[in-house]
Amino acid sequence: MTTGASMTGVPLSLYLAVSGAMFLLGLIGVMTRRNPLLLLLAVELMLNSANLALVGFSRYWNVVDGQIFALVVMVVAASEVVIGLGLVVAVFRQRLALNVDGMSELRG
Amino acid sequence: MGERIVFALAAAGALGSGVLVILLKNPFRAAVALIGTLVSVAVLFLLLAAPFVAAIQIIVYAGAIVVLFLFVIAYLGDRPVAMPVDPLGRGEPFAWIAVLGLAFPGFIALANSKLPGIRANPRDVGNLGDPREIGLAFINDFTAPFEATSLILLVAAIGAVMLAKRAVQGEGGR
Repeated sequence: MTTGASMTGVPLSLYLAVSGAMFLLGLIGVMTRRNPLLLLLAVELMLNSANLALVGFSRYWNVVDGQIFALVVMVVAASEVVIGLGLVVAVFRQRLALNVDGMSELRG
Repeated sequence: MGERIVFALAAAGALGSGVLVILLKNPFRAAVALIGTLVSVAVLFLLLAAPFVAAIQIIVYAGAIVVLFLFVIAYLGDRPVAMPVDPLGRGEPFAWIAVLGLAFPGFIALANSKLPGIRANPRDVGNLGDPREIGLAFINDFTAPFEATSLILLVAAIGAVMLAKRAVQGEGGR
């Protein structure tokens, strides 16, 4: 992927490769785990890979917008974790097993 | 050259602890492995001329979000958190088809990409990513998204309180 001896820094394509690999890791985690806590951790992995791509493009195209977007994604991640963990605790207090396949019914 | 060494170390750390996050069955250990990923990604942010985002990554992500995770995991304790085995179930072939179906086209697209500067040396970017630049961008160009994030946080806080309240009532007010 490098262009030869003139390359001294790290090209954007390598950052995008790391970001894509992290996204796939998170995707595997989301699809193979049934424990909601591990599922939320895998979602964090995916959000972080998106942040890496955003900040990478921001640096190589020299616009600050990507970093702003990454900060907004962090706010969304924080909100998602708060609600997700609140649901986990609520389910746990009902003495139910923490298995997302068993939580397919919503009840008020 | 130093940049490449730091990049290789940080990328290996991010991917290695990412693998640990999805392999470890114990949520506590997985959350601690996630801290490794977050710190490695923060190092990559520093390489990408984003010191402010790197600092927020450490403070908010590793400092607040993961600690909230660890707190909830410790609160739930050793009681039956998950099934003894963690089966993929019927969906296993589809999971791997989806992952490979994303990985191959993604790799081909990246290898053949014609995006401007994707394989070039990084240029000098001045003070991009300075806290001052980010604050000015938020005030001048991104005021509405900034206010929207505050609304999201308010809604999340109210939602968490409502969930906790309902759970307490369902337990007989304990």
